[in-house]
Amino acid sequence: MATVAHVEEHGHGPPPAHQSSRVDARLLGIYFFIGSEIMLFGSFFTAYFFARVVIAPHAYGGHWPPEPFKLPVYVALLNTIILLTSSFTMHWALQSIKRNNRSGLIAGLALTFLLGLTFLLIQAREYTRIGFSPHDLAFGSTFFGLTGLHGLHVFLGLNLLAYALVRSIRGHYGPNAHDHLGVEIPGIYWHFVDVMWIVVYTTVYVI
Amino acid sequence: MMAIEAYEHHGAGAAGHHAPPRRPTGLRRFTAAGWLRVAWVTPLSFGLATAIVEGARAGLGTPTSWHNQNTFQTLLVAWYVMVPLGFLIALGAFDYWFYWISGRPTRPEDHSSHGARSWKDYFRVNTDHKVIGIQYVCTTFFFAMISGLLALFMRAELARPGMQFVDNNQFNGFFSVHASVMIFLFIVPVFAGLGNFVIPLMIGAPDMAFPRLNALSFWLLPIGGLIMLSSYLIPGGAFSAGWTNYVPLAVVQPDGNLAFQMGVQWAGASSIVTALNFLVTIITMRAPGMTFWRMPLLVWANFATSTLVVLATPFIAGSQFFIMFDRVLHTNFFNPGNGGYAIGYQHIFWFYSHPAVYIMILPGFGIISEVIAVHARKPIFGYRLMALSLMGILILGFSVWAHHMFVSGMQPWLRIPMMATTLLIAVPTGIKVFSWLATLWEGRIHFRTPMLWAVGFISMFVLGGLSGIYLGSVPIDQHASDTYYIVAHIHYVLFGGSVFTIFAGIYHWFPKMTGRMYNERLGKLHFWTTLIAFNVTFFPMHWLGLQGMPRRVSDYAPRFADWNMVISIASFALGASTLIFLYNMIVSWRSGEPAPSNPWRALTIEWLVSSPPPVFNFDEIPQVVGSPYEYGVKGARHAVMGGERADVQEPHKVGSH
Repeated sequence: MATVAHVEEHGHGPPPAHQSSRVDARLLGIYFFIGSEIMLFGSFFTAYFFARVVIAPHAYGGHWPPEPFKLPVYVALLNTIILLTSSFTMHWALQSIKRNNRSGLIAGLALTFLLGLTFLLIQAREYTRIGFSPHDLAFGSTFFGLTGLHGLHVFLGLNLLAYALVRSIRGHYGPNAHDHLGVEIPGIYWHFVDVMWIVVYTTVYVI
Repeated sequence: MMAIEAYEHHGAGAAGHHAPPRRPTGLRRFTAAGWLRVAWVTPLSFGLATAIVEGARAGLGTPTSWHNQNTFQTLLVAWYVMVPLGFLIALGAFDYWFYWISGRPTRPEDHSSHGARSWKDYFRVNTDHKVIGIQYVCTTFFFAMISGLLALFMRAELARPGMQFVDNNQFNGFFSVHASVMIFLFIVPVFAGLGNFVIPLMIGAPDMAFPRLNALSFWLLPIGGLIMLSSYLIPGGAFSAGWTNYVPLAVVQPDGNLAFQMGVQWAGASSIVTALNFLVTIITMRAPGMTFWRMPLLVWANFATSTLVVLATPFIAGSQFFIMFDRVLHTNFFNPGNGGYAIGYQHIFWFYSHPAVYIMILPGFGIISEVIAVHARKPIFGYRLMALSLMGILILGFSVWAHHMFVSGMQPWLRIPMMATTLLIAVPTGIKVFSWLATLWEGRIHFRTPMLWAVGFISMFVLGGLSGIYLGSVPIDQHASDTYYIVAHIHYVLFGGSVFTIFAGIYHWFPKMTGRMYNERLGKLHFWTTLIAFNVTFFPMHWLGLQGMPRRVSDYAPRFADWNMVISIASFALGASTLIFLYNMIVSWRSGEPAPSNPWRALTIEWLVSSPPPVFNFDEIPQVVGSPYEYGVKGARHAVMGGERADVQEPHKVGSH
């Protein structure tokens, strides 16, 4: 019978788990997830380099991009600057909530969202005017593969930012480390998307 | 301690807080998460996917016709994406997150979805790692039975030379679906199931780090399997390019091939999410006192495996995306006519699929380490080296992929380095085998069923490893490639290796999972029939292969007829031996003898709680005070429960940093 009393006393849930790492589980989770994402990009880069390094030197005159295609390097540079800026506004948003500056948080998130949206719209415009399609050689396939995969990640990141924005407008989040994970984690993801774009831009447009 | 044992897995609803959640009534039943909502949302998402594709084609002015292959492929992709999503949403896998992202207050976790009160609870979204573990194991065995049946169809056809029952294309479908379902729906996820049940208990955690993600990753799995099997319904028949799905075959095959590509994506997503969960759980939720060097080797093994899954699985996702784009969108990733690199597919595919063979064996290594130490009553030999060799395999496993491609026409200079790394991997594997043998040496061995499987595993796996050394050498591989020698090798490592460890693990933890003992006599009968039938089935394949019988062909030269008849008969005996296992499991689960909390006198934490464990695993998180393997050492403890903590002095910094 003592058992029943015991169950009622402790029956409202599991005991708190022992925290065996200083890193928060959710932060660790997003880091591992990003590791997985990097490998997904890795497979797209592998396909890209196979087309460019293994096949292209022996086909279509060794040119990359193959004649007569051209890449809009400067439009993409503008886009790079926009996305880089959005990483700073994201950082500003996180710093604001750490100092309990709610309007700074909302403004930072809204700016980041708008910059990301601008990036996507410019990319969509670029796609329609670029003069080649995914059907045009492995060059076109890998170009649209890499930039499209990245664009999809920007889209997912925008979703996360939108959720964080809605919640910050509703007054969620606070200055304690535990209370703004909902801003910090989309932020980490957003910085990853940003850094990945620099790698994609350098590989596809510059070198 | 008494209080803990008094909890009941199924009966904790007696406590007021743990009453079953109130089920909605009336029309609400159709909008609340569950199968009634599935019944209307899933067809709706099917219609929505169709409408989107047809609408897009009408908008673009493309003529639509279901007989047009291109339209049908696009529809298939849309269905394979949206129908499972609709199903998951309707079943309630995303409910919490929908509340969260809309900024509405999330319902505080009332733990009402913990534990299973009846068999029906296994068909709901459940966040309890113990329920999810059992869901995984049962689902994976369901798929294993189906794909095992496909193997028997193959053996029926191969019993005699000439064509008996099926045509070439059906035969190709049999081995393709058999291998794909066995790998992606049985061997990879069944370890996730056993790990799900055992690992949180073993490290003293109340649950996994992300219970809702855990539930989601389970429900992604049957979706992947059903998609693969659905290829039988698609005009043109099941996908039949083998589980490797090489281009250009995969691109020109009938539409059933899409079922493989999409099924792999769902099953792969499930593996990645589970692996993330394991990694975070193992890192952040170990009981006080459990340093990395006090973790049981099963935990180490799952740690290594999960790292492999997280890092390697995206490559198979990428490879199948490329094929899908090449098929449906007519891109040129692997089209050699338009600047694509066809062998590139094999590189990307094997960069996942070679690490995947370690994904399929490392957790088994972990199980064997537990089983052997417990049933031989001896500390595991070379504990630290055992853990480090797992990590060694993890790193080396990424450097050997092209040994599957010695005859593919890849760059010849890649062969020698790949041969060297392949043979090098025998070193950490050898360390493990010799450590198990050294653990058995002069042990007090109890040959219960799990131990029989463990010892059977060592012998069979060594045979598979030996043929692997031959296949890793370029000259022999060129001779034996695409023969039955390969089929023999893969079955010695995957069946004699992985599946034997799965049986060892299931018998070992059956008392913990179900609270009942299995029938020892039937367990032993299952082991011996399987061992004999397995060897008669697969050993002659070595000879057939070396004499030149090609694999993946439905007919063969008459001179191979005798051995093939023997193999076919033995394979049916092998299939029948599985029925003994199923009978034993089902009957013992229903009416076996009640299991004590620690029938094997094991030291690890999962045996300190009742069988089956209480709903929340522990009243209080246990304190780890020593190595998990001090068998035969008087008074040695691995962990103590809350109440006893004061009585046991922790030895100062033994084995910790």
